[in-house]
Amino acid sequence: MSAPEAPLLIFIGQPNCGKSTLFNAVAGYKAQTSNFPGTSVKHTHSLVNIDGRLLNVVDLPGTYSLHPADPAEKVALRHLFQEKPDVMVNVVDASILSRSLELTLELLEMERPMVVALNMTDLAEKKGITVDAGRLADLLGVPVIPTVAAHGRGVKELLEAAFRCLESPCRGPLPRWSAEVESVVDKLVASLPADFPCIANPRFTAIQMIESGHLFCSEFLEEIDSGLKATLDGIRDELASRRGMPAYEAIAAERHHLSLKLSEQASLVRGRTRRSWGERLDDVLMHPIWGYPVLIAVLLGFFFAIFKIGGPVESALLKPFAGLKSWLAGEFGSGLVFHVADGLASGIGGGVAIVLPYFVPLLFLMALLDDVGYLARAGFLLDAFMHRIGLHGKSVSPFILGFGCNVPAIAATRILESRRDRILTSLLIPFIPCSARTTIILALVAFFLGPWWALGFYAANIALVAVLGRILSLFLKEASPGLILEIPSLKVPSLKSIGLKIWFQLKSFALFAWPLLIGGSVVLGLVQALHGDAVINAALSPLVSGVLGLPRELGVTLIFGFLRKELSLLMMLQALGVSYQQLMTVVTANQIVVFTVFVSLFIPCLSTFAVLWREVGKKIAFLSAALSVTVAIVLSVAVRLLL
Amino acid sequence: MAIENDSQLPIPDRQAGRTVRTLRRPKDDEMTNLVQSPRGATLRIVDIAGGESVRRRLFALGFNVGDDIELQALGILRGPVLIRNLRTGVTAAVGRGIAQKIVVEAADERP
Repeated sequence: MSAPEAPLLIFIGQPNCGKSTLFNAVAGYKAQTSNFPGTSVKHTHSLVNIDGRLLNVVDLPGTYSLHPADPAEKVALRHLFQEKPDVMVNVVDASILSRSLELTLELLEMERPMVVALNMTDLAEKKGITVDAGRLADLLGVPVIPTVAAHGRGVKELLEAAFRCLESPCRGPLPRWSAEVESVVDKLVASLPADFPCIANPRFTAIQMIESGHLFCSEFLEEIDSGLKATLDGIRDELASRRGMPAYEAIAAERHHLSLKLSEQASLVRGRTRRSWGERLDDVLMHPIWGYPVLIAVLLGFFFAIFKIGGPVESALLKPFAGLKSWLAGEFGSGLVFHVADGLASGIGGGVAIVLPYFVPLLFLMALLDDVGYLARAGFLLDAFMHRIGLHGKSVSPFILGFGCNVPAIAATRILESRRDRILTSLLIPFIPCSARTTIILALVAFFLGPWWALGFYAANIALVAVLGRILSLFLKEASPGLILEIPSLKVPSLKSIGLKIWFQLKSFALFAWPLLIGGSVVLGLVQALHGDAVINAALSPLVSGVLGLPRELGVTLIFGFLRKELSLLMMLQALGVSYQQLMTVVTANQIVVFTVFVSLFIPCLSTFAVLWREVGKKIAFLSAALSVTVAIVLSVAVRLLL
Repeated sequence: MAIENDSQLPIPDRQAGRTVRTLRRPKDDEMTNLVQSPRGATLRIVDIAGGESVRRRLFALGFNVGDDIELQALGILRGPVLIRNLRTGVTAAVGRGIAQKIVVEAADERP
């Protein structure tokens, strides 16, 4: 994790301000240690070496304010308050400067060394806004460095400013509120006992306490110091009666107006004659009617692009491996050596020839949709439909991420404010075909039966999610709080940042998933050589051949599918003892569909199960497993009988 | 300040001697809620009649009482509304239920 001697630098900013892109630009710049793919809901560490000086860089999830509304924001605050960074880099979006400065004002109160990264200056210019970084630095009293994270512009200057800040800490003057607010803050600071566990400083603590309302452990305060609790309540009431609004709102309004003032002083807004391309495009993308054909076209384009690229590449790559298999059989006969070597070849070859051709285009398209900002727009369009299944538009983005991998998708449910929404979304995500299952669907159903079959499979899968959502929401009756979702400006995707994202994910595939595929295939080879597969297959044959009507040799592959879904596909060939091109000689089209349905649905894979356990608890994880086994059996039998 | 039902919203009786109408039919009143406003209208937020968490969330996204906003789109099938804050430039999608609780009045067009 972190080297204790390296100074700790944290990136903090509001969601969609380009913070993770900036972090990737810094970490990708000269990262020394391993770097885990940064989903924006958990913090990411990286040890960076800049001109011989080490820096421990941490990327925190985006947070609008220091008053968390969802678990992702809580992660940000926990790190901010507990890890006591040596320097904070506050990333602000220059195109919506005044809103971004509201968090900056809160951070200034902490009196910690801080540098402001004035990001997305290019987007601001396009909107006709020129922010004067020097003027803003004078106003805030901390260094302000203009950056364009997507192109890596300003990154070096930012790091230099951070190092200067470490040598002679740069702290801004405290923002001053109106006399009314200042007087109540002073009063509370004076009432805090000397040993009160202050965060940062007494003034910051006092403002947080007034603003936090009943969210901030008021019962706890009542227990430990009822006198202080009474003082705090009195102060809140005093401010509320003077302003005619709750205390938290009075402070929020002051901060809002102060930010507007600062932003007006530091930026020049030119009158625009025409709207930007992004705004004009948004008129279509989020049009109440035309938005939907576009959405369908985007999803269809997504599917066909992956198939059209992956299919031919897969065929081309498979040829040498098929040759290898027959050469191995000729060389080693059918003993232990052959089975192990064959397992090794299937694991390595399967990873290269079957998984990567579909995985890489999928990663590219997911990163593209994410980078452009289309996920939030899909959330707007699908909100009304999500209400039908008891959720709202904010769940759309985790669902779409689920098409990549269910694990980050379930982690991404942390952006949802209510626990009930998180549980329902997390229970449905394992039914979304992830990249592993897309590989199976495309490599089996589309490859052998045609792309329309695969598309039908997808459509049925989405319908299944809708039906299950509808049924599950009958049991989870609590009302959903409703949608409040920021729609970030459309951005021109940066190939550099997409490339970095793909690189991090491929690295994690090569480090974690691929060894599992190779290891699993070798273990199957060993089991086959020792005739252990016959025992497992015999035990599972009532289900596999009795209920599902599949060749009984496939029993053992289903067990391994729990580790990684693609493993079932690779092992299917290994278990049946045929090459990919000869598959249709031993199974029928019907059996391929039944196998795909069952493998896709039957249980969340090991990683998904683990993340479910961590995010929503053991009970929900087991419930999810039971649900998927039931659904898989019922649907596979239905498909078998109908086709 | 947790008025959950929009029919209970306080409406000032500006025209004495006339019946005070409920929010659902605000013909004689300048105040209305977001959902009943025409697309493209420039509006000023007068009140957010939701619970504390909804109010806090809207403040955090940069939508405060007194801000001028533009109603950009209304989703079909009781879908969300799309609003843009004319002062901060922030755009947000707000679910229909919450939009009904955002009390607005017509604002003067700004340059």
